Amino acid sequence: MANHRADEKRFLDERGSGGPLAPNGLNPATIMEKPVRERIIDCYFWKDQCFALNEADIVDRVVVHVKFIGGTYGDAQRPSPFLCLAFKLLQLGPSDDILREYLDFGGEKFKYLRALACFYIRLTRQAKNVYNLLEPYLEDRRKLKRKTRMGTALTFIDQFVDDLLTKERVCATTLWKMPKREILEDLEVLEPRISPLGDIEDLLESDVEEMDGKGRDKSPGSEFGEVTPEREPGEMDVDKGANEGQTMEAESEVASGKV
Amino acid sequence: MSSKKGAYESNASDTDFRKKFDRAEYAAKASVREAAEKEESKARYEAKLAGKKYYKPLTGDEILTSARASRLDVSANVGKMVLMPAGAATGKRGRGAGFYCKDCDLTFKDSVQWVEHENSMQHLRAIGQTGEVQRATASEVRERIERVWEALEEERQQDVKSLGERLKVRQVEEEQDREERRRKRKELAERKLAKTEEEARIKLEYGEDVRVEGEHDEDDMMASMGIVGFGSTRK
Repeated sequence: MANHRADEKRFLDERGSGGPLAPNGLNPATIMEKPVRERIIDCYFWKDQCFALNEADIVDRVVVHVKFIGGTYGDAQRPSPFLCLAFKLLQLGPSDDILREYLDFGGEKFKYLRALACFYIRLTRQAKNVYNLLEPYLEDRRKLKRKTRMGTALTFIDQFVDDLLTKERVCATTLWKMPKREILEDLEVLEPRISPLGDIEDLLESDVEEMDGKGRDKSPGSEFGEVTPEREPGEMDVDKGANEGQTMEAESEVASGKV
Repeated sequence: MSSKKGAYESNASDTDFRKKFDRAEYAAKASVREAAEKEESKARYEAKLAGKKYYKPLTGDEILTSARASRLDVSANVGKMVLMPAGAATGKRGRGAGFYCKDCDLTFKDSVQWVEHENSMQHLRAIGQTGEVQRATASEVRERIERVWEALEEERQQDVKSLGERLKVRQVEEEQDREERRRKRKELAERKLAKTEEEARIKLEYGEDVRVEGEHDEDDMMASMGIVGFGSTRK
């Protein structure tokens, strides 16, 4: 069995030449941007805690040191431990079996391990696998702390996974441009996804029925203008006028949407 | 007298106290050492010609590098004083003020330099490591996750237990405190009761004639000063 190098020198020296590529065809040494990469290699956490790690030691480090997700934070733009360990994963190139352990078995216990594995999968795996592996965690509602240059914010695993699937830039890394889910569905690479919320059409229908007794068609979001649909006409004249104005707005939205 | 024996009748010459060296043995040792040195310098020269950095050839019993188990504790020596030899602390060579690596005989002035040295090939070779790390399998990863989780659980349970125990200890202490206060209060009340009872008993026995300690002090003092009263009939 081959061994890893303890430091990152060979990994970075082989960029663009002999090193193995990630499953999506990118070079793992250049997936992160050069300024970020250099910040990571310069930081003390990398030198001290990311030296000579293997796939199992990653778990230890995540449990002890990763208390928030994020790219670079603070005025000095220090790379977060999350980012350093993601870079270490890029160097180690763990197999799918190991990633499954991170996601399922370890992810149930340690939420940041799951977040890290999701991030790594988005960076290196093929689009089909990314969708298949990440979408189950759109139901994981555990909290995550997220640090940016501006400050700290609360987020959730499902939100983070959604960001990974839809956004271009997450955690100081520009994600590679993945084909949209609809395109992959049209190409019959992916099965259509069944949302845990149920069918979106049914959901909208039921919403309309609940919101509007007359069964009028509404565009999604128009319910914000229709807060008091059950109110009897002539009950409060002033409010009713305002309400009617909003309904008219909603109707015009519907009209423009339908065109 | 032409005897070789000296005054003490012994055969020892006057330099016999010196150690006798086995010249052949040391000559052999020296030749071995010189050969090794020559070989190393040749290897160094060849490495230099090839434009590479020279490392000592591996002996074959090196161990794999593994992840650091502990962080550098920079606060452990705060407030300690250490005597340094006068010639120390010039350059990195030798023991000086700072982080000292005894395998490489080097001293570093700050933690970043220190950790960089610990990661360097020079250091890894000096402590007999290859600079390679064992690759972990999926089952090892699972095992590690289980172990970390169990350790965390145990810690959590111990925490709870110690908190409960602390509460119990605190409860016992408070109970003892309350008992003590109750006892003191009772004692005080008993003493007061005994005192009043005593006074009542004395008054009962002797009537009004008895002088209770301190009761007529004021009258006595006024009498001694010649004042009997202000003409009031009230006492």
